[in-house]
Amino acid sequence: MNKLMKKIMISVVLTGVAFALYQNFSLMPEYQGLNEGLSNYIIKSGLNDTGSLNLITAVLYDYRAFDSLGESTVIFGAVSGIVLILSRKMLPVSSKGLSFIVKRALGIMTPFIALFGFYVITHGHLTPGGGFQGGVILAAISIIFSIVYGSAFDYRRYSPQTKTLFETGGALTFLGLGLAGILMEGAFLQNLGFLTAETGTLISAGSIPYINIGVGFKVGAGLAIIFYSMIQKTFEEDF
Amino acid sequence: MSWMNIELILLITLPALTAVLMYFSRDFNQRVRNFLAVSGAGAELYLIVSLFIYNFDQVKNSNFFLQYTIGYQDTPFVINFAMDNLSLLFSLIVTGAVFLIVIFSTQYIKDKENRYFGLFFLVLASIQGTILTADLFTLYLFIEAITIFTTPLISFKKTEETTRAAMQYLFYGITGGVFFFISIILIYFNLGTLKMAAVAESFALISTPMQLTIIIFFLLALLIKLGIFPIHFWLPRAHSACPAPISALLSGVLLKVYLYIFMRLFWTMIAFDFLVELHLSAFVLDLALVSSLIGHVFALQADNLKKMLAYSSIGHIGMILAVLMLNTEAAFYGGMLHIIAHLMMKSGLFLSSGYLLQTTLSHHIDDLKGIGHKNRLVFIAFITVCLGTIGMPPLIGFVSKWYVLLAFLKARHFFGAFVVAAGSIIALIYYLRYISQAYETVKSESPSLKEELISLKAFFKSTNTMKSVIYTFTLLIIFFGLGYQLFEIPVNTAIFELLNPQKYIELVLGG
Amino acid sequence: MFNNLIFIILFMLGFYALIMKTNLIKNVIGLNLMEAAVFFWVIAFSDIGGEVAIHKMGEEVTKFNDPVPQALTLTGIVIGASTAALLLTLIIELNKFSGTIDRDQLEGLND
Repeated sequence: MNKLMKKIMISVVLTGVAFALYQNFSLMPEYQGLNEGLSNYIIKSGLNDTGSLNLITAVLYDYRAFDSLGESTVIFGAVSGIVLILSRKMLPVSSKGLSFIVKRALGIMTPFIALFGFYVITHGHLTPGGGFQGGVILAAISIIFSIVYGSAFDYRRYSPQTKTLFETGGALTFLGLGLAGILMEGAFLQNLGFLTAETGTLISAGSIPYINIGVGFKVGAGLAIIFYSMIQKTFEEDF
Repeated sequence: MSWMNIELILLITLPALTAVLMYFSRDFNQRVRNFLAVSGAGAELYLIVSLFIYNFDQVKNSNFFLQYTIGYQDTPFVINFAMDNLSLLFSLIVTGAVFLIVIFSTQYIKDKENRYFGLFFLVLASIQGTILTADLFTLYLFIEAITIFTTPLISFKKTEETTRAAMQYLFYGITGGVFFFISIILIYFNLGTLKMAAVAESFALISTPMQLTIIIFFLLALLIKLGIFPIHFWLPRAHSACPAPISALLSGVLLKVYLYIFMRLFWTMIAFDFLVELHLSAFVLDLALVSSLIGHVFALQADNLKKMLAYSSIGHIGMILAVLMLNTEAAFYGGMLHIIAHLMMKSGLFLSSGYLLQTTLSHHIDDLKGIGHKNRLVFIAFITVCLGTIGMPPLIGFVSKWYVLLAFLKARHFFGAFVVAAGSIIALIYYLRYISQAYETVKSESPSLKEELISLKAFFKSTNTMKSVIYTFTLLIIFFGLGYQLFEIPVNTAIFELLNPQKYIELVLGG
Repeated sequence: MFNNLIFIILFMLGFYALIMKTNLIKNVIGLNLMEAAVFFWVIAFSDIGGEVAIHKMGEEVTKFNDPVPQALTLTGIVIGASTAALLLTLIIELNKFSGTIDRDQLEGLND
């Protein structure tokens, strides 16, 4: 009874807050972001400034590159923390995976998934996508491996040390490009002018594709590390 | 050119690089790793102190301003980093405290140091970023980063209690972060900009109900992070569960960083008049005072030394927030001094509690019996810092509390003055409870205090790194208690900066 | 207007799940629902009926949507994913210690 009362009370309060918020938001003016110059500027001269067709990527890796650097540092710290919390010296060996048919089918599909992941990463400045999105696809391959081929498969081929190397390598690529910006262009994380090529080609837009590749490897390896840290516990019980 | 102050970026990237280095230091020699950690924090301290000394004339005339812009120079869309007197003061005290904490942890932490120091330096980098940034979204990013990086450190001991505390801390921290994000995005939708200075210029253009929403979400986020009364219960658990250096970092340093964010948001970015107009400042003032009282009262019934210290932190932070809400110059002077004092005192107390734990089983009050006989000098340092927290005359705690009290009396806010005085008296009781327990007679075989003090040789023999850090904090508290005028110039210029945000706004926008 | 309504309903549902459900995993879901509601709203509100902000070769597009909120959202999503992973990790660890993920059975978490 007491619990029900609590539930009802909380619901009433939340409904009240929701109503007030709705009243408030309905007074909001039309979208201001484009009128006030800032995003107009990006739409007008983003292509000239950065050479990246995808303006969202231009914002992420050029105009606000520092945010993206901080964001990949957040992933780095989160992975480090998760490994710290879950560190056990257990080799995750348990299931033998799914049936032969699934294994064969996935064996045929995997290169294409990987190709798609690399495509999303490397074409981040031309089409929708980028380092984060492609990195998640790469991490998904690792997770599918553990389901289909058994959990030891991926672990044996790419040990956590290798993945950590990929991860830090990606982070250091980003940081190194930022420092190169200081040396060559005079400002931290400035787009490297000498790398610019004809707009619309694969290797254009200054340092953006390289940052994309670094971030892609970093996110892919980081998420895979998180996944394998998390499933370790299960296998401890199976022994 | 004013946008070319590379020091600001170095302040953020140097700890981050140290963190990456520490992350790979698993196979290093113990000594090499400790040297790296101390030199990383030392380089940071050197950088900020040299900034202070070389620009001392400008600091004195309060026209000190450094700025760094990331992005294309003459476009409207860049990320700014700015350092004025307020940021300089906070950066200075925070870096100093972190340097001492790093020295302490080189000896205190005994396993997985590489990950510990990696996360620790990432926290330091995020703190510097939070203090230096002039961009709202970068601020959000750094606040979230602090929450994410400190969580594994809280659960560092890997027991059930620490895991729970870390989980609760993360839940509350991230909920606060979501509120912060809503506020930022509302500002962007209404004004089309993310620069704090540009927001400050045109905040009055937003319609009043929307202003109210924005301010309430900001307040909710910051009150959660500061541990003010209705949402405070995550704080004692989180601050007492972690290893001692992390407790010092959370309670001594991070709460001050959140106070800094509070000042930046509500004085520089959103003018304080809006809070007064919307009747929120009086509400926050009362809430903070109630929180202060409740923190002290809960500390009275806490049976765990670290939990008691954490509850006392709630009391002090509530007091500082309340006195800042008075919005007078005297109030700022008291508040700033107490921020500095509390930073030193709480760090010292938590570090010495960590040292004392080595000779006892737990921090429970029953296990502390006779601890004063076992570690004489450390416990005397502990008592000295306790007295400072209560507000005994020659120590810095007295000076700051006195100015806080004066500010309350000057503003004719007698409930506030009552809370300050009552807090001191309650604090005296709960510290005495522990101190008397510590001197409960247990026959001891260690040399008496007199011998230990007279024989310098024995003193130096028994001193180690941890002890010397605790002594340093104690001496600093005594020294600044006598020479608190040393803080006059930085504190006064910082207050000038707070009360005249126009200069900051113009300089940031002028690039 | 419809966007605002959906945002607020989703946000409040997430908040309800965060504070009222006793299952810790459901709390994480609630938190993620809150975040997702905010991100959804950001994207939906900044949609002014233009194209996605990507230039196409050889085509002139006159009206673009604002790219900035989308970039901010991407950053927010990454942070949300990191925190969700960290929270789930802590829940796994807690389950190892106490054998339950129910807040009611974990003393001292529910007040």
